Amino acid sequence: MHDSLIQLAYGFGIALQPENLLWCVVGVLVGNLIGVLPGMGPLSTISMLLPIVAVIAPVPGILMLAGIFYGSQYGGAIGAILLNLPSHPPHAVTCLDGYPLTLQGRGGTALGITMMASFFAASVGIVVMIFLSPLLVRAADSFGPADICAIMLLGLLAGATMARGSPLKGVAMTAFGLLCGVVGTDSMSGSARYTLGITDLRDGVELGGLTMGLFGIADFLVSVNRSTVDPAKARVAMRDMWPRRADLRQAFWPMLRGTGVGTLFGALPGTGPTITTFLAYALERRIAREPARFGHGALEGVAAPEAASHSKTQVDFIPTMSLGIPGDAVMALILGALIMKGLQPGPQLVSEHPDIFWGLIASFWIGNVLLVILNVPLIGVWVRLLRVPYRFLFPSALFFIAVGVYSTRNNLFDVAIVAAFGVVGAILLALEFPLSPIVLGFVLGPMLEPNFRRAMLLSRGELSVFVTRPVAAGFMGASALLVLVQVLGWWRGRRRAAAPLAP
Amino acid sequence: MHKWTKDHVGGTLLVAVGLAVVVAGVGYGVGSLRHMGPGFFPVALGALLALVGAALLAGARRAGAVATAAPVEMAHLAGPVVQWRGWACIVAGVLAFVVLGEHGGLVPASFVSVFVAALGDRRNGVGAAAALAAALTALGVIVFHAWLHLQLPLFTW
Repeated sequence: MHDSLIQLAYGFGIALQPENLLWCVVGVLVGNLIGVLPGMGPLSTISMLLPIVAVIAPVPGILMLAGIFYGSQYGGAIGAILLNLPSHPPHAVTCLDGYPLTLQGRGGTALGITMMASFFAASVGIVVMIFLSPLLVRAADSFGPADICAIMLLGLLAGATMARGSPLKGVAMTAFGLLCGVVGTDSMSGSARYTLGITDLRDGVELGGLTMGLFGIADFLVSVNRSTVDPAKARVAMRDMWPRRADLRQAFWPMLRGTGVGTLFGALPGTGPTITTFLAYALERRIAREPARFGHGALEGVAAPEAASHSKTQVDFIPTMSLGIPGDAVMALILGALIMKGLQPGPQLVSEHPDIFWGLIASFWIGNVLLVILNVPLIGVWVRLLRVPYRFLFPSALFFIAVGVYSTRNNLFDVAIVAAFGVVGAILLALEFPLSPIVLGFVLGPMLEPNFRRAMLLSRGELSVFVTRPVAAGFMGASALLVLVQVLGWWRGRRRAAAPLAP
Repeated sequence: MHKWTKDHVGGTLLVAVGLAVVVAGVGYGVGSLRHMGPGFFPVALGALLALVGAALLAGARRAGAVATAAPVEMAHLAGPVVQWRGWACIVAGVLAFVVLGEHGGLVPASFVSVFVAALGDRRNGVGAAAALAAALTALGVIVFHAWLHLQLPLFTW
């Protein structure tokens, strides 16, 4: 515990070096700038900025990544509150009361409260991360390939079944993502798999190409000529950003409770960020003295879910960084970016690159502080950006996607991949398949397969290692429980659906 | 005959893709659990995909029997789902960048891809699309060529 604090001070030393700090500022600014644009959630924002992260040195690159992540998250909240447009599913709950507040002319207050709630929640999440990560790293030292596989399986199942819509479709998309990760040269035998005879595919599918297709182009294809958002409605003044004392008093306890919900469920694999925000909202409405106010501009309904979402994502970083196993698509993308920078998150990262690990934790906090400092004066700029009409927005974004994806590997083929995944993504969206499990599978696939093959080599082909090793058995049990809960839920849903038909 | 629902289409698609993956994967060599070949993992996944597809087909109800609510991210969309002009222009815009990047350079690739994509929106005329394309091309040259030293030459003919 004492160690953690010394390490953290070291991390702050790294993150506060002028060059690193500068990149963190740039990350927050650009992340916020793109994240505020309609339809640009953290997934598309991060993948759009991956090329910039790719060209700068590892440490500032990762600090910038942290900045982009926070900026895009907060940028998404602006669109949700001012335009009723959630670019990222967890913000859907924020819309419920955030947008009515905007209609009442109190959008600025809602944004100010959101900012405070997210800052507070992220700070708590960071503290939890500081103390829990080293413990997890110590435990992870004894993990064998079978254990890693079991943990990954739980992560994949959780990601698949907790996405919105049918869990079955989530499982299908996870498998599809894993298969996309298989494409290319097999690391163990050297043979090319599923390359369709295309030489460029031997190196595999580029992460940025896949995500920009699925979350950029696919979104344009679905939205073109159909967007009904009227950006002219978004109006907010800088002085409104500071909440009044009464507002603060109203939002304080919901903020604390939201943070509690987010931290608690963040540690629990299998509860996605969207579910967490809904839980926090439901809790507030349950204990409110006048539940009828909710949905008509209750500040509590903005503060609690936003706090929950931010503490949840922060706590999600713990398994991502210390085990190398991400809990959701955004984490998977960040993990992919770290791997692209030549860093494999996991127990080794913490011991071999303490500068990066602790620097990242410090920059999380710095990123949050910067967000608060920058957002008050810049809110006017964000609102103006929010009002860019969609007919200009999507061709511009398409251009930046094309150039960005090209620049990652200086390969035009990757741009063609974007088009392909754009069409695939649009078809999947039209058929109501969730897209985020694909990213989770794609990033985890290249780690799951070698670990599984190694585990089977070590056990001489005995699948029983997954039950005889205590850690593996524990995670397999949790996975089984998750499936059981889903099946039970489906069965009860069926019975309820059938009930009205009975005489 | 009843109308096909989204789940019928999706399930069929999954079964087809899953089976194709299995067939190709068997050719890579499956091996045994003890010594897995390069085909083992993808064959298992392909089989899973096909199974899930079959389950989806089995659970699919007749069209109109169940009305599902639109997901939150799409709640702001309205109007006909089929947008041939938009679809064609967006896909052509991306592909134009690939082709012209190879045989023209950054300037023509940028201009044509933005111009074509912009025409996908019915409210954009030729003038507006050209203006947007010119502006973004200029911005692209400054940011990507002069500042970030993108490896794509401005013109390649």
